[in-house]
Amino acid sequence: DFSTPSKPAPTPTPRRKSKPVPYAPPASPATPSAVRRSRRLLDTPTKDLSEAALFETPAKPKPAPAPTLKRKRAAPSPSPKTPARAEPKRKRQRRAPAKRAFYRKVVYDGGEFAAGDDVYVKRLEGAESDAEDPEEPEDCRVCFRAGGGVMVECDACLGGFHLRCVRPPLRRVPEGDWACPYCEAEREGRAMDRPKPPVGKKIKRTAKEKLLDSDLWAARIESLRREPDGAFWAKVRWYTIPEETAAGRQPHNLRRELYRTNALGDIEMESIVRHCFVMSPKEYRDATNDGDDVFYCEYEYDVHWHNFKRLADIDDEPETKEDPSDEPYNAANDYNSDTDEDSEYDEEDEPAARCSARKNQSNEKILNSWKGRIYGLQKIGIRKIPEHVRCHQKTALEKAKATLLLATLPKSLPCRDKEMEEISTFVKDAICNDHCLGRCLYIHGVPGTGKTMSVLAVMRRLRSEFDSGALRPYCFIEINGLKLASPENIYKVIYEQLSGHRVGWKKALHYLTEHFSDGKKIGKQANQPIVLLIDELDLLLTRNQSVLYNILDWPTKPNSNLVIIGIANTMDLPEKLLPRISSRMGIQRLCFGPYNYRQLQEIITSRLKGINAFEDQAIEFASRKVAAMSGDARRALEICRRAAEFADYRVKQFQQVEQTSSSANSGNGFVCMADIEDAIQEVFQAPHIQVMKNCPKFGKVILAAMVHELYRSGLGEVLFDKLAATVFSWCHVNRELLPGYDTLLKIWQLQAW
Amino acid sequence: HAPPLLGTPPRLLPSPAHTAALSLAWRLPGCPSSPSVALQALPVAAPPPSSSAARQLTPMAAAPVASQAQAVLRGRLCDPAFVHSRLRSSPDTNYSKLKYLVSSSVSEACNNSVLLLGPRGCGKGAVLDMVLEDLKEEHPDAISVIRLNGMLHSDDNCATKEIARQLCLEHQLSFSKMASSDDNTEFMIDMLRECGLAHKTVIFVLEEFDLFAQGKQRLLYSLLDAMQSLTSQAVVIGLSCRLDADQLLEKRVRSRFSHRKLLFVPSSLDDIQRLMEHLLMLDKDSSLPTNYVTEYNSRLTSIFSNKKFKGVLDSLTDTDATTSNILRFLFRVVSYMDMESGFLSMECFTDALSSMQRQPKMDSLQDLSILELYILVCMNRLEDKEQKSYNFNTIMKEYKSIQDAYKTSDKYATTVCFRAFEHLLDRELITFADTKGRNVALEYRPVKLLISSRELAQSLKLNTTCPV
Repeated sequence: DFSTPSKPAPTPTPRRKSKPVPYAPPASPATPSAVRRSRRLLDTPTKDLSEAALFETPAKPKPAPAPTLKRKRAAPSPSPKTPARAEPKRKRQRRAPAKRAFYRKVVYDGGEFAAGDDVYVKRLEGAESDAEDPEEPEDCRVCFRAGGGVMVECDACLGGFHLRCVRPPLRRVPEGDWACPYCEAEREGRAMDRPKPPVGKKIKRTAKEKLLDSDLWAARIESLRREPDGAFWAKVRWYTIPEETAAGRQPHNLRRELYRTNALGDIEMESIVRHCFVMSPKEYRDATNDGDDVFYCEYEYDVHWHNFKRLADIDDEPETKEDPSDEPYNAANDYNSDTDEDSEYDEEDEPAARCSARKNQSNEKILNSWKGRIYGLQKIGIRKIPEHVRCHQKTALEKAKATLLLATLPKSLPCRDKEMEEISTFVKDAICNDHCLGRCLYIHGVPGTGKTMSVLAVMRRLRSEFDSGALRPYCFIEINGLKLASPENIYKVIYEQLSGHRVGWKKALHYLTEHFSDGKKIGKQANQPIVLLIDELDLLLTRNQSVLYNILDWPTKPNSNLVIIGIANTMDLPEKLLPRISSRMGIQRLCFGPYNYRQLQEIITSRLKGINAFEDQAIEFASRKVAAMSGDARRALEICRRAAEFADYRVKQFQQVEQTSSSANSGNGFVCMADIEDAIQEVFQAPHIQVMKNCPKFGKVILAAMVHELYRSGLGEVLFDKLAATVFSWCHVNRELLPGYDTLLKIWQLQAW
Repeated sequence: HAPPLLGTPPRLLPSPAHTAALSLAWRLPGCPSSPSVALQALPVAAPPPSSSAARQLTPMAAAPVASQAQAVLRGRLCDPAFVHSRLRSSPDTNYSKLKYLVSSSVSEACNNSVLLLGPRGCGKGAVLDMVLEDLKEEHPDAISVIRLNGMLHSDDNCATKEIARQLCLEHQLSFSKMASSDDNTEFMIDMLRECGLAHKTVIFVLEEFDLFAQGKQRLLYSLLDAMQSLTSQAVVIGLSCRLDADQLLEKRVRSRFSHRKLLFVPSSLDDIQRLMEHLLMLDKDSSLPTNYVTEYNSRLTSIFSNKKFKGVLDSLTDTDATTSNILRFLFRVVSYMDMESGFLSMECFTDALSSMQRQPKMDSLQDLSILELYILVCMNRLEDKEQKSYNFNTIMKEYKSIQDAYKTSDKYATTVCFRAFEHLLDRELITFADTKGRNVALEYRPVKLLISSRELAQSLKLNTTCPV
């Protein structure tokens, strides 16, 4: 009966449930979901070790020294902060920069702030007085004392309670949702007085409460810099609370939900209060014990268009692409050197400024053309977060459907270890050698055997290896032959990815040839090796095969630093090409054979791990069937998904029937053999038979007559005239009503397939 | 006797309503894909029968009710949503299956691709439209529909452009005609990603799906590949009357296609009867007088249980049992409604059936003049002689030879024959064999017959004025 709007459907269920704030419209009782209960152990309020070291140990409850809330922030604080602001900035960088300097990490005011961190920010200059000690532990709502035992958080009012203070007392932190007795009473409409704080003691508001009451801001630090005058500034991206959006707080918003906005701001470091933790749904679910400053953020809010958008799982492409250029190659290795941790880019924020300038005029931009494309897509979004994504609890079948989706990236890629190993050694060899000569790998295999996926997985793995500093930086370009308008366009695309400029393909070819053979390098990544992945390589074939020749010729040039991985379906593509091309390409090959049924079974079961929706035989049946036909993993996954859909459909229909007639037995929520059978039928069987069964009488007669005529004449085709004669004679013999010639012709037209 | 050469109007049934019906019957086979359009055009094309309009003056009471009822029935027949509304209730129809598929991909944020297969006129498009309407109501502004037609957009460049245009229109963005197809493709993929992040589902409706499955199928590939690699929410719905449409796909496209198929077949006899009841029975609580409605319904039920009606239904469904054909039939039935009493009778059904089964070519052969028949026979003889190409002069030679062989008296001058020849051309019983040589004089252009010898023989047998 705890009516909590439950969690977003597509994302893992986070743990803190919330009830709507009092002034929000009363939420319709949604499905109560059995999520894990939030557990806030408030006797250890700090979570960050570095902070814990800097501030006083918070385990000792502080006796709320100030009689009023208005308290100078710095003065009574026991933190090792010196009164003057400028001194404690213990930057690790010693050089006095004459111009703007950008830092990755700044130690300011006792806290260590790095780009990418989330922080509380003071709203007003004057509001400083309102600030209190940042690490003040929260008081219990009943006894108004902090510390002294485990506290739990009410999921509705977010108040903390000692386990022993709750009536009846709790033994341990409850599982699932928990609402304090007061909230519970409120919901039921009973009046129940909340305990009043003892006279003379004000309830201290924690930073979290202030934030949610819009007395503080939260922001994410995008970059840190020092102005020439020595002041420290941060460029931040604001977070906003649901109340401040155009849609207001919606019933299904979580209590701790924040939205990331696209508004950027420059703030002085002084106004930063301290760290908070804004987490993605997945992190949020796992963060059971992280204290009070944890927030949930799933959506981005566009301040111009007032709409919401889910945050992309992976950060945007341009960011990741920029990365290697920002960092010097060996930055990760020597943290102790003089220039540690700061990278200085001269006025690198210029593009950002340009970008924001452009954003303002983006309304007029034409979007489907190249220049205006990126700006203005913000307009797409939803005014309100639709309820159906949140108020829906997933059944096992729905979870199974989601994981079987082709688009979901599996956690592990079974059955292709050998091939992936080979690819990764190939790429590593090519990258680590300073002079990689004529490296070219040809990968072939039937569709759906994981060729592209394996290569991309290897590249991801190498990328993380590179991030940890074990690998030279390289440039990875991915091209799909079928997505190019014409084979020549590949030059254009490669050049654009290398340099960021757009030119015609002839010019691009010219530049690229210069780049690879003459050593005139384009772009910043001067001598980085380039890994070029060409998917659907056979689509690049032109009549004189010049495109393929040009591309495959580059790696043979002395200092091209180019590695090509080509993917195609045909095994003997190199043999079909001109000898000068096949000699350049066909040396190193890798074959992706079709999966056998065991592998398919493993793929499916690995995806379905932890979801109890499929019978084992059903999976085996599906994988055997697919392995016998094509060995296409996509096909197998689709069949299983389709079968799950059938089962789900059956269950839902059954529930509908049940609602009306309230019958007793429950639907079978398992995907069984029959469902798989149906799915396979649908995929592999052409529906001709069924249509023929259902076609009108004369249609059948015509078909029969046609077969008869074809047999009689032994030819491949038959004229309608002859056919009509046969039909008429048959009808005459069988004393059927004679159809007219024109009618017959009409039927004929209808049946033509 | 003087040959009736000039402008003989086709000898048809006398009533103007029948003429309209016939002209409809002429027109309809040419455009099988848009029966509803033709039906909706009919009320304009066919004014109420003038004879009954004259009679309406005397019994003032029944006529307005009758025409009102007729209007109601016609309105129903022309409204695809009403025709298929019966499907909404039952769980085992294509409607609910399709709705489940699409709505689950809307609410569960997944991608799907579906093929709707079936012969023309089985209600693929109508059912899809209903599903989309319903879903738009259920999920306001979470769905955007992109419609493409294989006839118009089978070219990849033009299809991506159209997609970009419709996406822009849907989201009130400005659209540039100048953008290259690369740009458009990229824009489409960006939009798919953004829409996926915004919980918006993009539904691509590809009519005449088989026409998209030609050539390199770049459009389908990039669509389906985007669907499997991004966090997008998109549904591709293909409509085709080629049953093997998925076999036409290229192997890598096929591998990405998620093989859901829904088969639409012509309905069974029981279904048709139920559909007819659904369409023709009047509601009790309509604006029409109650006693009229009960009387009307009871008469209709008695017709439905009539044996003769079963025969009518059988002969109708023997040729074509698709929904669109049934609708066409019922529209005629309603048009034949007796305006005096305002009830449907058995005759309405039989008349409508006979007008459905009219043989337009035979009809027009019936009222040809003797000379025109002569010309046709000559052409037929030439074709029997396996003469591939012949023109007016060759025909005249053949005509002469007939004259000589049978020594008949009805001999006409060449100019008169030429007029008859032109008339046949106008009637489109014969046509030019090729399109070139427009500037060649008419009598030298090669022609060919548009009717078979069997039809000609049959019509000669039936023609009472024929001397043979």
